[in-house]
Amino acid sequence: MTVAREEIVSQEYKYGFHDDVTYLAETKVGLTRQTVVEISGFKAEPDWMLQFRLRAYDHFLARAMPTWIPESVQHLDFSKIVYYRKPSEGEEKSWDDVPEKIKQTFEKLGIPEAERKFLAGVGAQYDSEVVYHSVREELSKIGVVFMGMDQGLREYPEIVKKYFGTVIPPEDNKFAALNSAVWSGGSFVYIPKGVEVPLPLQAYFRINGENTGQFERTLIIADEGSKVHYIEGCTAPIYTTDALHAAVVEVIALPGAQIRYTTIQNWSRDVYNLVTKRAHAHAHSTVEWVDANTGSRATVKYPAIYLRGEGATAEVISVAFAGHGQHQDTGAKAVHLAPNTRSRIVSKSVSKDGGRSTYRGTLKVAPGATGVVASVRCDALLLDEASRSDTYPYIDIQEDDTTMTHEATVGKISADQIFYLMSRGLTENEATNLVVQGFLEIFTKELPMEYAIEFNRLVKMEMEGSLG
Amino acid sequence: MTSPAEAGTEAAPQAPPAAPASRSDAPSPRARRSPAELPFTFADAALAAAIGEARGEPAWLRDDRAAAAADFARLPVESSELYTSYVDFRAADLSGARPFLRGADAPAAGADVSLPEGAAGIIELRDDVVVRLALQPDLVARGVVLETLGAAVARDAAGIRDALLGTPLPVDEKLAALSRGFWSQGIHLHVPDGVQIERPILLRWAAGTPERALLGRTIIRLGIDASASVIEDQVAPGPAIACAAGEPVPQALVGATSEVHLAAGASLSFASIQDLPLATTLLHQRAATLGRGATLKLALAQLGGRIVRSRIDNRLMGQGSTVEQVEIVFGGTDQLFDLTSYTRHVGQDTTGNLLSKAVLQQGSRAYIKGLIKIEQTARGTDSFLGEFGMILDPKSRSVTIPSLEIDQPDCKRAAHASSVGPIDPAQLFYLESRGITPDEARKFITLGFLEPVVARVPLESERERLWALLEAKWAQRRVEDAPAA
Repeated sequence: MTVAREEIVSQEYKYGFHDDVTYLAETKVGLTRQTVVEISGFKAEPDWMLQFRLRAYDHFLARAMPTWIPESVQHLDFSKIVYYRKPSEGEEKSWDDVPEKIKQTFEKLGIPEAERKFLAGVGAQYDSEVVYHSVREELSKIGVVFMGMDQGLREYPEIVKKYFGTVIPPEDNKFAALNSAVWSGGSFVYIPKGVEVPLPLQAYFRINGENTGQFERTLIIADEGSKVHYIEGCTAPIYTTDALHAAVVEVIALPGAQIRYTTIQNWSRDVYNLVTKRAHAHAHSTVEWVDANTGSRATVKYPAIYLRGEGATAEVISVAFAGHGQHQDTGAKAVHLAPNTRSRIVSKSVSKDGGRSTYRGTLKVAPGATGVVASVRCDALLLDEASRSDTYPYIDIQEDDTTMTHEATVGKISADQIFYLMSRGLTENEATNLVVQGFLEIFTKELPMEYAIEFNRLVKMEMEGSLG
Repeated sequence: MTSPAEAGTEAAPQAPPAAPASRSDAPSPRARRSPAELPFTFADAALAAAIGEARGEPAWLRDDRAAAAADFARLPVESSELYTSYVDFRAADLSGARPFLRGADAPAAGADVSLPEGAAGIIELRDDVVVRLALQPDLVARGVVLETLGAAVARDAAGIRDALLGTPLPVDEKLAALSRGFWSQGIHLHVPDGVQIERPILLRWAAGTPERALLGRTIIRLGIDASASVIEDQVAPGPAIACAAGEPVPQALVGATSEVHLAAGASLSFASIQDLPLATTLLHQRAATLGRGATLKLALAQLGGRIVRSRIDNRLMGQGSTVEQVEIVFGGTDQLFDLTSYTRHVGQDTTGNLLSKAVLQQGSRAYIKGLIKIEQTARGTDSFLGEFGMILDPKSRSVTIPSLEIDQPDCKRAAHASSVGPIDPAQLFYLESRGITPDEARKFITLGFLEPVVARVPLESERERLWALLEAKWAQRRVEDAPAA
């Protein structure tokens, strides 16, 4: 309203550096059937994968662009994107072998430190290929598989063929079809029966190369009674033209397994982040999505859990921060297909400087899913009059003994809270920052400490951008 | 829906396409319909012109009908992408429904002109006939008008042209255009500035005659600081039609509106009891604009109909205006209730309090969709939307979509809540421990859940009628659920 949207100077992106890398192989700009065949050829894939890609490509062409997604996404020009680009030969087993340029980029991102401190493994994706990969000795010994998706396809073809595309078929939506046609990189994780991974598995994703699409594909299978925490953090350099990130993440929790998947998404402000994330939770398993979206120009992401087995549990904690020019269209889905399943969805969003955050969620209880307990809670903070918040929950109940509650609120920071904090000696900026951090705490407290610190730093940066 | 080629492959052994056979002909399988396809085809520009002609309407109204007919042809059934996947007209078969061309403007000779006990006025319409019309004489003297919409147009009542052309009905709604273009009967209630009516006024529509389509409008205008309470009854036109076993009951279409204009400081209580025959498709559009400090209290009970699609648009334009809305649904035997409520906060310091409650049994479905929209101008808004369901058996289904669109952070409250659950076992246990039989306890809890609307019906006799309807619906469940002898 009175805040002129143009006056707000967008803050320089903290990780917005850009290395000049010589690419060894890449496809021509644009997407044709030939592009798909070429990508599969570069990777020397089995024929079934090529057929899978082509089927997805056909569906991508046939499928109309959804009309309800953020407007900027609807105008995406798919013909201006490079769909595959390979920065170095093969996958590197040791840090020493990683090319110096790429290594410097990772140094700036602090990956080696993070690894030394607590990480179980690193799968760092540099553009479209996994260039660095290490799994700790003891994890290999207990049979944990954590590698790039391409390598997984080569080394574990049976497991990949059995599960790949079963949670999210290419026909699921237009962007899942796109990813299925041109996917490259991503992680493949298999946790054997009864194995509990003691430390979080971590993967970093970056986009580099102007106009490079990043279409990573992640498949996580936790076998019966196993337990794993997977963390993904994203940063990307700033470019002037639009970059596209269309990932597919498939997660399968077999009976009794526990999976937590944590994301901190901080793409730079020109990235379109269109991600399909879905988990199948079998009997007595637990799946948790812990998901934060602070970057990107537009995010379209609704982590989903299909509760397929009796007694399964689902939890989604999702936070979004929409600043100047951003639209965070996020949410969650819980689909109860089996008796005595439970789900909890908590969503928090902050909009400022003309940013727009949207919660879009589905809660469905299918016939036969008796004794379901489900809850949804969405809260939104609007920090100024130029910003906007929307909430669109879909609640579809087809069983009589379901217990479901849903609540949503939208509001601003109360003047009382700010006044109180300022009376204790805080500046207005500090006070506002503290209130926002408190609002998002339900998310932060679920993070490992290093991530929590990093996330609070991100929030602080966002807040300073709005108040400075 | 399907291309001709597809249709051909689906029904291979079919007679070559010829002129459409009469309905009594050939047992040709009923064509498959998409959920959103309207089950009738009579509404076209020619019909709109024919109605205007038959009624001898002024040019401005005929033009409005023509424009509405064009809108009707152009608009999709559901304009909001949030809700498109929840439109389902497949259970309706209205290919044989004939619209009325001209409803009577005045009561027939010998019509009832008595006032019901405790009421200030009544108008009762049965299809195209006015069967009862009465208004307290002192109100007539003070300028209150209760008449058919046709009579209002014919005498060119003050403000009627503005009310019809400046209708609060949404411009993006196909089914609002249906009523605007093709209405043949209507009600006009006008309460002048400063007139406060204490007793309720009854607006009764007897509709749902098989194979007929009744499209009507209700226009209510309250002047500055005027107040009124209105009860809208939607009832069957006569005893239920008995059909031979296996024969489908001939269906009916009812299209209705309530278009409410509240001037500054006006206050309207509006209660509705919808108990149309079960073979009826009801398309209901309710819209209201509220001036500064105006108050609208809506209490709506949805009981009848096979398919009920209703949309409510409340526009809080004036500073300090208030909407309180309570809607209940008691669904049975395959009924479908598709109810949408839009509350738009435009003025400052407006209040919206909306509550929907549904009890569903016997394979009934309820889609309860609500949107609170807080515009950037609407500082100090206090808005709450609650959607609650109780499902009594696993055949029934509840979909709730309580949405928010917020452009102004300076609000007192912007929230929604929704819950669905079975009958609370703790409540059941408590009542049983007091010596109440389990069956009675369940009835108390269920009907108690719907009680908020009953309490808001302003006339004793109507309250009793609603309560009896709820009890009958509950009893119906018991009969059907009893084990076969």
